[in-house]
Amino acid sequence: MGDGRAARLLRSAEGVAYWGVVAPVLARMPAALGYRIACWRGDRLYRSHASKRANTERHLRLFLGGGLGRVAARQAARDWFRFASCEAVDVARLRHRARPLRRLVKIEGREHLEAALADGKGAILCCAHFGSYNSALSVLHASGVPVTTIGRWQHKYTAGMSAFERRFWDWVVARRVRRHRQRPMIEPWPGRVEVAALAASALRANEVVTISIDAPPLDSDKARAVDVRFLGHQARLMPGIVTLARLTGAPVLMCSVYRSADYRHQVLEISDPVPMAGDTATAFGRCVAGVSAAIRRSPASWVYWPSPLDLDNLGMLSPGPDIAPARVPALVAVGA
Amino acid sequence: METVINDYVSRELVQDQALLPLADDTSLLETGVLDSLSLLRLVVFLEERFRIGVGDADLLPDNFASVNAICAYVRAREAQKQEATHG
Repeated sequence: MGDGRAARLLRSAEGVAYWGVVAPVLARMPAALGYRIACWRGDRLYRSHASKRANTERHLRLFLGGGLGRVAARQAARDWFRFASCEAVDVARLRHRARPLRRLVKIEGREHLEAALADGKGAILCCAHFGSYNSALSVLHASGVPVTTIGRWQHKYTAGMSAFERRFWDWVVARRVRRHRQRPMIEPWPGRVEVAALAASALRANEVVTISIDAPPLDSDKARAVDVRFLGHQARLMPGIVTLARLTGAPVLMCSVYRSADYRHQVLEISDPVPMAGDTATAFGRCVAGVSAAIRRSPASWVYWPSPLDLDNLGMLSPGPDIAPARVPALVAVGA
Repeated sequence: METVINDYVSRELVQDQALLPLADDTSLLETGVLDSLSLLRLVVFLEERFRIGVGDADLLPDNFASVNAICAYVRAREAQKQEATHG
């Protein structure tokens, strides 16, 4: 399948049908069968979506080239499509207080989180757009940890999306995830100056706040982004997590979710606290290094690989001594 | 109170030196003085300095639009606190 308008419409319709109808059915099947079918769908998309596949493989090799050969990059790209399809099943398994998904997600390092909360200042989980993080954090909340997330729903800001599509993604994804959060999502849109104070309020109540630090900065935020080494390259990210931690005294713990080789089981790993000593760039650099390490461990799990637009907004595709200056058309990366 | 808050905002939050000296009615939002994290800094300062609690429902742009607006908000919170204390 090409990348013309008809192909895009067809893929969009297939995505709606898959997330809205097929994935909920797969989520009611035995997990081994449901996730296997999801992987078949991922394989079909991998074969048919040529430009997305090419971008994913190219970026994987560009940023992880030293540790990732051509065959491994191809394998990781195929897994990227499989993971995206499996994520729809994860979200659909969030019904009934997330019990169907809780059986498949193991939480490791919970003792670090409990030790952090024992000090009464809440805890900040430093996440990335990595793996099935929304569903895994829902499992964490369903297991008794009060979780609130700072973040923007992608369907609210992806350009070129119809009002129907926005309502659909809100209904099929955001609605299910919202049920498993302590407070409403804290969405950092331009002009919403209360975001950090709302997060601080949750932390003062000794709750857990999650922040994905690898989000491409909005145009209005770019002046406040800082240069960091990310995946061995220069990137521009928002270091707000460090300021929030320092102002509230809340510890920062790394949080990553890994999918196992059988595609249905996952492990949510929580680290011990990241030291916040040193200047902001130094402390933030430790968080970014943690995310980089997670991506190198499971390259297929990072959601931004197929999107030149997002990588460009992260400042990672700028021409430099170790980055090829190639630019390719933007992709819409929702509901893969 | 205006002097205390103006001094804090001028010293800790204003990045653009062209805004100094800061007028009490200067919009802190339109001039970019207040963003998400600087508002949190300001809230922490107000809570410690004036011993008030700033609730989630009070985190409205109108309450922090200028030094004058902040002072009006703090006075209202102090009055509420005194009423609560005296029954």
